[in-house]
Amino acid sequence: MTGERSESDDQPNVDTQAPSAPTGFARYAETLVAVGVEAMGIVILLETRDIRVPRAFSSVGPRVVPYIIGWGLVIIGAWYAIDVVRGRPAAPSADSEDADPTLPADWAVLGGLALALAVYAVLMEPAGFVLASALLFTMATFAMGSRLIVRDAGIGLAVSVITFLVFSEWLGIRLPPGLLEPVFG
Amino acid sequence: MDSLSSLADGFGVALTPENLLWALVGVFLGTLVGVLPGIGPALTVALLLPVTYSLEPIQAFIMFAGIYYGGMYGGSTTSILLNTPGESASIITALEGNRMARRGRGAAALATAAIGSFVAGTIATIGLTFLAPVMADFALNFGPAEYLALIILAFTAITALLGSSLVRGLVSLFFGLALGLIGIDALTGQPRFAFGNQHLLNGVDVVTIAVGLFAVGETLWVASRMRHEKADIEPIKGSLWMTKDDWRRSWKPWLRGTAIGFPIGTLPAGGAEIPTFLSYSLEKKLTKHPEEFGKGAIEGVAGPEAANNASAAGVLVPLLTLGLPTSATAAIILAAFQRYDLQPGPQLFDRNPDLVWGLIASLYIGNLMLLVLNLPLVGLWVRLLSIPRPLLYGGILVFAGLGTWAQSQSITGLVVLYVIGIVGYLMRRFDIPVGPAVVGAILGPEAETHFRRAMQISQGDATVFLTRPLSATILAIAVILFLGPRLWRLARRRRASSVGVAD
Repeated sequence: MTGERSESDDQPNVDTQAPSAPTGFARYAETLVAVGVEAMGIVILLETRDIRVPRAFSSVGPRVVPYIIGWGLVIIGAWYAIDVVRGRPAAPSADSEDADPTLPADWAVLGGLALALAVYAVLMEPAGFVLASALLFTMATFAMGSRLIVRDAGIGLAVSVITFLVFSEWLGIRLPPGLLEPVFG
Repeated sequence: MDSLSSLADGFGVALTPENLLWALVGVFLGTLVGVLPGIGPALTVALLLPVTYSLEPIQAFIMFAGIYYGGMYGGSTTSILLNTPGESASIITALEGNRMARRGRGAAALATAAIGSFVAGTIATIGLTFLAPVMADFALNFGPAEYLALIILAFTAITALLGSSLVRGLVSLFFGLALGLIGIDALTGQPRFAFGNQHLLNGVDVVTIAVGLFAVGETLWVASRMRHEKADIEPIKGSLWMTKDDWRRSWKPWLRGTAIGFPIGTLPAGGAEIPTFLSYSLEKKLTKHPEEFGKGAIEGVAGPEAANNASAAGVLVPLLTLGLPTSATAAIILAAFQRYDLQPGPQLFDRNPDLVWGLIASLYIGNLMLLVLNLPLVGLWVRLLSIPRPLLYGGILVFAGLGTWAQSQSITGLVVLYVIGIVGYLMRRFDIPVGPAVVGAILGPEAETHFRRAMQISQGDATVFLTRPLSATILAIAVILFLGPRLWRLARRRRASSVGVAD
């Protein structure tokens, strides 16, 4: 560790801000992730008690491995929390040119995407794959900053219709036709 | 000899006009999707899996072979022209290849990557042809105890060797293992963790997990921090043919990269990251042009690209002969086999020789198609790189939903996809690796079955894993793999600090 650090000392402090200066919130948020791991383990341990073990079953039953994984999550969650609190917070790696990891999260964009995905899931059965997908595409591109709504809606509709035809008609995979059933039926 | 006649039968299967067409479609689609920025090989394979759902198994796997190699190839194009690795095995290609492109040598970088991939892919597929039957024969001796030991070895390798932090690797692995618990217990038929939802009784599909983590998670991550200035796409300058000097400097790295990539890929602890890094540092040591490294050295593209492709073929050895995936991409291919109720392993070679050898023959064919297809079509692929990002990621969300719906036919499937996507976003945010979760989700249930079968056979005696020599050996290797690097680092630190005291 010390050896590596002294090697990079000759570089100016350009990259120190990303990995080693987490804001208070980032550390708090990562501790919450560790708590989430912990909670997952506890839920598994509690739920495992309700798994029925057939009486005729003599060897290792269906509860053993869930117990191992549940305890594993509890232990790892605690370890993770200690790791974060003791000052080894993660720095997201910058392996995508499209994202800038030093920026703060844009919650408006994330909220818009969440809404688009929720609408998609709700409309899939009643409205059908084509309309739900076209709407998802338009809402998602809008949330991500595109303002050419008519163009995006047109592209979304074209992509959805083509995909629907390829999968439903050609590959024989059932997708809900929904409101457009009279057209595609 | 046996391999050769089986392979000839395989070519007999793969060379029918219809199957050649499927291979071509696979190669084309694989490259098309693999080129898209932000889509690595694992996601390429996962997103294109639904296309194969309605095909016969043999056609599906012939197409799959093309998608697999095409996705790998497409990823390297993106790395060179856009500096977007998409997966850790392409980091090196992005490093040197993108620098080459910036110096106006993009065409040579693409050519050495393409030809190197072809050379490495072909040699490694030959290796696969001869090694796989031997491994499959050997694996016939394996009982449940040995399989469990192998899976533990794979878990150890994927969490302890890769990534920056052991605890984050374990978080990922155990998240995957927990997802794998959901559904009906294979041995007793009892429902577990379905929370009363009948769709969850079938378990959470590995493809949904991969698409959720890679596609939805990545989209949320990029969208939340999107760069609004345009990314630099390096124009392709220069002739698409390499100069004599390029050839002279490329062929040895290709062969050395293959020699490193294939053996490491075949290990149950394989994967593509380590061989690419090894090849890079080897080329850096051997080069006559050390001043070019870091500024776009052709050896630094040729070697790691060859290593990457050779290990991609190597990974198929444990996958086909043991049913053991050692990368996220391999885990998705295993999921594809399971869709057809096929269990990769030694029996697969006996029961479905047409399928196995047709698949292997298609790897040769796909590799050749890629070489012929890609250099001329590179202009088309480059145009894909300039898709406006909102449209690209909007499209990814649509296809992620489509794939999940095709698999689950239920809103539950979509909800699971989105929940996993949010987890994927957090994993990206906090630098938790995604690979262990995908491999854990598919191998967890297998590990449990082998564990319980072994215990049944031994009548509850847990020492069976240590008294059978083969499983004890494999477990010992896992322990060494886990402790070795840590002890070594500790020893080095001790020495360093004692030197410090002496000063």
